[in-house]
Amino acid sequence: MTATADRATAGRKTPQVVDMSWDPITRIIGNLGIYTKIDFANREVTECRSTSSLFRGYSVFMRGKDPRDAGFITSRICGICGDNHTTCSNYAQQMAYGVKPPPLAEHITNLGEAAEYLFDHTIFQDNLVFVDFCEAMVKATNPGVLAKAERTEAPHAHVHGYRTIADLMRAFNPFEGAVYKEALQVSRITREMFCLMEGRHVHPSTLYPGGVGTMPSPTTFTDYLSRLMRTLDFVKKSVCMNDDVFDFFYEALPGYEEVGRRRIMLGCWGAWQDHQACDYRYENMNAWGKKMFVTPGIIVDGELVTNNLVDINLGMRILLGSSYYEDWVNEEPFVTRDPLGNPVDMRHPWNQTTVPAPQKRDFEGNYSWVMSPRWYDSASGQHLPLDTGGGPLARLWSTALNGLVETPYIKATGRSVRISLPKSEKLPEMTFEWEIPKWSNTLERDRARPYFVAYSAAMALQFAEQAMDLVRAGDTKIFNDYELPEEGIGCGFHEAVRGVLSHHLVIKDKKIANYHPYPPTPWNASPRDIYGNPGPYEDAVQGQPVFEENGPDDFKGIDIMRTVRSFDPCLPCGVHMYLGKGKELQQTHSPMFGAGNGTGAGHG
Amino acid sequence: MGRIRVGQPQVEPDTPTHVRGIRQGNEGPGGCQPGHHEDGTADARRSTGIQGKKHNAIMKIMPNISPG
Repeated sequence: MTATADRATAGRKTPQVVDMSWDPITRIIGNLGIYTKIDFANREVTECRSTSSLFRGYSVFMRGKDPRDAGFITSRICGICGDNHTTCSNYAQQMAYGVKPPPLAEHITNLGEAAEYLFDHTIFQDNLVFVDFCEAMVKATNPGVLAKAERTEAPHAHVHGYRTIADLMRAFNPFEGAVYKEALQVSRITREMFCLMEGRHVHPSTLYPGGVGTMPSPTTFTDYLSRLMRTLDFVKKSVCMNDDVFDFFYEALPGYEEVGRRRIMLGCWGAWQDHQACDYRYENMNAWGKKMFVTPGIIVDGELVTNNLVDINLGMRILLGSSYYEDWVNEEPFVTRDPLGNPVDMRHPWNQTTVPAPQKRDFEGNYSWVMSPRWYDSASGQHLPLDTGGGPLARLWSTALNGLVETPYIKATGRSVRISLPKSEKLPEMTFEWEIPKWSNTLERDRARPYFVAYSAAMALQFAEQAMDLVRAGDTKIFNDYELPEEGIGCGFHEAVRGVLSHHLVIKDKKIANYHPYPPTPWNASPRDIYGNPGPYEDAVQGQPVFEENGPDDFKGIDIMRTVRSFDPCLPCGVHMYLGKGKELQQTHSPMFGAGNGTGAGHG
Repeated sequence: MGRIRVGQPQVEPDTPTHVRGIRQGNEGPGGCQPGHHEDGTADARRSTGIQGKKHNAIMKIMPNISPG
């Protein structure tokens, strides 16, 4: 099940294969290593393995704890999107306890999550992804492209104010570029918005199952709204800047669409509950799932396979194959049937038991602590290695294809998503249209991100308006009581910033009997499963062409880094790279890269 | 933990969930939290203990919004 079709084999030169490894490409927590074989004669990556050398064990130590603590503990899984875990854990707990938060609490949670998307996508795209596309980096890897950029006018210069593409790239330069610096300011404002709703960033103090503890005073919402309006100029400019730069790359480097391209296999679990539809009952999950403001869906080869959360839930399979764990098939299952009576597989997260088995890394055998989550497609009988497209690509694709979302600011048309943003400080009202792209590749993953920032801003406007209507009417109830049941099961489906997020919970004797969070990175960074299917990083990098002009001696692997980063594997702060016979190069790509203004090596 | 050898746990798994002497939260806040009404609405006493009544709405037709 490799992603892309083989390119023409005619005219191929004798392979000159060199092992190239990047380990760690640090994520927010844990280590991500990418081990590749690169054929420099034919300029392509022939093989790729993605590995993680860190074991977390949340599912092990959650057992026996009070389920009401789950949101606070699982928040610590991540240092940048911890609130997504709290929210998702609360969704799962609300299902298990049978409690529905009041409307205002749902709006406050949604506002917090919208601010998180705004913050996280901005800081990742503008301060980390753009380092790979900045003038200093392009000069070091593709000087020919930079020369062309100097001569190319930016089509949206009237919006963002940069005349040429090279001017834009200079604005991306870390520490010095105007966009880089402005993004830092914006991410501060958006984080303040988050803190107004969820207490603090990144581990919320005011989110609980059954409601929130945020004081819903009118100023809470006006403070949020005024900050949101301040960011709109930046949001509008970033959509245009991204379009200009990525369109330029397609034009300047013909064939660049093959970089990071894989078969379209995207998963989105949906975000932002609609308080009118959502009762958190499993039996009604298909109905309220479709009312979410980002529609859940599984997309294979451009077609929507399902948008039913029950099907999505039951199709989840956690496979082994290249991971340091023992199998759990002989353990006692926790959940044999779901509340609708459907059988639940032994490999489903509800039944998973984590049995770690540390061992030596062997690329022919087991080589990662990440398991291989797959989605079982009952129609084709395949275990699909879904990816999240870094989050926004799958979210926009699923929302567009479903065509269910229609709000005052957003319209999903079936082939695109239209986002309208009102007049802001400098720029007039603007409407953006994200159209379903032809490929699931590096540039489209990156391009979707600013569009989703605009989408989040548009949703935040709506939530803020609705929340203020409730407050003005005196409906300030933000919490509902519940009883902790003796036994229960729950599942939460949400979107972490970088893609699908699910929490599966089993309660026995008022304690956690089993708890399995599945964030996006296990899906994206998974190794080869028992059936030999590579994980999305491996699949996307393997077989991709190399456009970098440097040879093996000063190779930076920029195309590979762009691909891996397009999946948003959290904040990459350093890359240690070694070549062949023990010659080691250390390069820090970000945030230290800019200090040398593009000279490359030298920072440790 | 599979075949991994681990030491004695230093804490009971659910130690932090309840400290003796502190009321457990399942009863809900209704009765004892000032400013909260049975019907889910609230008044200014919810936000301040200092002359809360003076911060309430001045007319009955106005919603009672807690001060920020």
